[in-house]
Amino acid sequence: MRGAWLLAPCLLAIAAAAFAQDDYSFDVGQFEKKPFEFGGYAELRAEHFRLDPDAALYQLNFFDREPVTEYNAGIGALQLEGLYRQGISSFRFVGYGVYADDYRGSDSATRVYEAHLTLAPSDRATFDLGKKTLSWGKGYAFNPVGFVQRMKDPNDPELAREGFVIAGGNLIRSFDGPLKTVAFTALVVPTSDRVNEDFGPGDNANPAVKLTLLYRDTDIDLLVLGEGARSARYGFDFSRNLGSNVEIHGEWAHLTEITRPVVNAAGTVTTVTQSANSYLLGARYLTETDLTAILEYYYNGAGYSEDEARTFFQTIHDAYAAGDTALLERLRAAAQPALLRPNPMQRYLYLRLSQKDPFDILYFTPALTVIANLDDGSRSVAPELLYTGVTNLELRLRVFFLSGNRLSDFGEKQNDQRLELRGRYYF
Amino acid sequence: MRPHVGGAWSRALAVAMLALSAPVALALDGDAILRQVDRKLNPESYEMYRKLINIEPDGRKKEFVLFSVKKGRDAMIALFLDPPSEKGRATLRLGDNMWLYIPNVGKPLRITSLQSVVGGVFNNADIMNLDYSVEYRVEKAAEEGAAYSLELKARSGTVAYDRLKMRVDRASLTPTLIEAYAASGLLIKTLRFKDIKDFGNGIKRPATMETDSPLYKGYKSIMLYANIKPRKLPDEVFTLDYLPRAGELR
Repeated sequence: MRGAWLLAPCLLAIAAAAFAQDDYSFDVGQFEKKPFEFGGYAELRAEHFRLDPDAALYQLNFFDREPVTEYNAGIGALQLEGLYRQGISSFRFVGYGVYADDYRGSDSATRVYEAHLTLAPSDRATFDLGKKTLSWGKGYAFNPVGFVQRMKDPNDPELAREGFVIAGGNLIRSFDGPLKTVAFTALVVPTSDRVNEDFGPGDNANPAVKLTLLYRDTDIDLLVLGEGARSARYGFDFSRNLGSNVEIHGEWAHLTEITRPVVNAAGTVTTVTQSANSYLLGARYLTETDLTAILEYYYNGAGYSEDEARTFFQTIHDAYAAGDTALLERLRAAAQPALLRPNPMQRYLYLRLSQKDPFDILYFTPALTVIANLDDGSRSVAPELLYTGVTNLELRLRVFFLSGNRLSDFGEKQNDQRLELRGRYYF
Repeated sequence: MRPHVGGAWSRALAVAMLALSAPVALALDGDAILRQVDRKLNPESYEMYRKLINIEPDGRKKEFVLFSVKKGRDAMIALFLDPPSEKGRATLRLGDNMWLYIPNVGKPLRITSLQSVVGGVFNNADIMNLDYSVEYRVEKAAEEGAAYSLELKARSGTVAYDRLKMRVDRASLTPTLIEAYAASGLLIKTLRFKDIKDFGNGIKRPATMETDSPLYKGYKSIMLYANIKPRKLPDEVFTLDYLPRAGELR
């Protein structure tokens, strides 16, 4: 009996060792390549908005609706991704569906983000046909050279975006010496009443090319979008590592004949057409304590000047005070293409600080994002907590605080605060 | 009495040999040893599978599976196969340059070697490690019993760790222990190699690497190696434009 007591710890140790051995096993067969791959995520989001009834954009949105000062929203979303490979061809599909419920009732929508065929006859060449999301530019929060993509939301730069229907090809060559890589991409983004109608108006081919170089450890892109549904535009971008913890990047774009609706003090809406230069300079820095800082300065040459924005906001306030719904409707239509977009003005500073695994808590990343309008001093400050400790589950809590004087960019946004809790499960 | 000439000559010869051989023994060619260690660990161009296991102090684990290819001295791709939250992410390294491709973002972003794409004790430099002799030169080499002790200094400021102290098993010429230090002298992490395994094609090396760090007290990360095979690939595979297609390499 006494022997059994002595034996027990030994048996336990052996069992533990066997268990540990199992834990460290690695069966590569489980990860064999299959012709069809499927994945995606399901997301639940709860949001609380605190609105600012004195803000111009609140008045613009609510002048013909039941006013509310705060509300909750519940959102469920599903993103499905599939890839099928057959010989040199592959077909990729990304679909997104969302169901939202708030004070206005419930609504749902589904979108095909991507559905394209790729032919890869060699490692050096590919051809794409179908709806594909392109992502041009080196900026994290902003992309002045993003000529063939939908605008990025700087509050969620890593969110998947819907693509456009394209036909194009890509060639790659590598070399020895200071110029290591040359890649050339040429494509068309055809527009008509039925295809890519949100890219721009009219029947156009919209040709675009991108030349990519890796020269002396610097990424360089030269990019052109030909005249078509959008005006012609060209630009370049670059990025480079300065050390094991510092990266710098930049973009410059020249946009011809960019239009934006402006309002004068009398409430007359006119369209200004001009050529504009936009640029971005940014850096990413990692401290020894795993704090990552991303800093970007963005000059949006096509954006509203401070005077133009102030006049626009003041006109909305005046029309709202006078109960001039006809003018408010005209102003709402005028604001839609430009003023209501993220970062409609000219000079912005983006700063994101994220601390990986603080206090020895693995997979926990608190972060702080600040977007400041340097023209009028208004800003959005968003603290955030992210936890990814449970495999395939991502939990994120964040709050946006928008502040600024009257007639300023963030001061006139519809909401003052937004609380968001998001749970996302990947499969 | 005739002096014992032969004995005197033998002693003189022995002393001369000692005098000649002593500097040779003292001046070990550390860089040559390091190059041999590199070739023992991997062929210069290869493909392989790895599993990373991050273990928290309470025993909870998180696992990642990667497929990697490497070409020549400084080109490498690592593609995440599992878990689904990371699947399709791919990192490319070309010398000191490193990029991360996230399918949702749709373009490769430049990253730095000290960042970590998986969390835990391993950072990008551990996952995308090139040959040690490419990134480090040996400043000091010594024999310590059955091991070589090598002190390594980074060849450039873009290398993740400024200094390494490496202990190499003399018989197998594989590392058993590596301590990684920042330029400030701070010990960042310790890597322990074990479980020598024959992978075929003349590759016999440790199949397990354990890592801990004073910066992550109580945490441990383990890397398991499998299916290491020599593989030849064109240079065009190691480019930004190819990175979204990294899954085709398997």
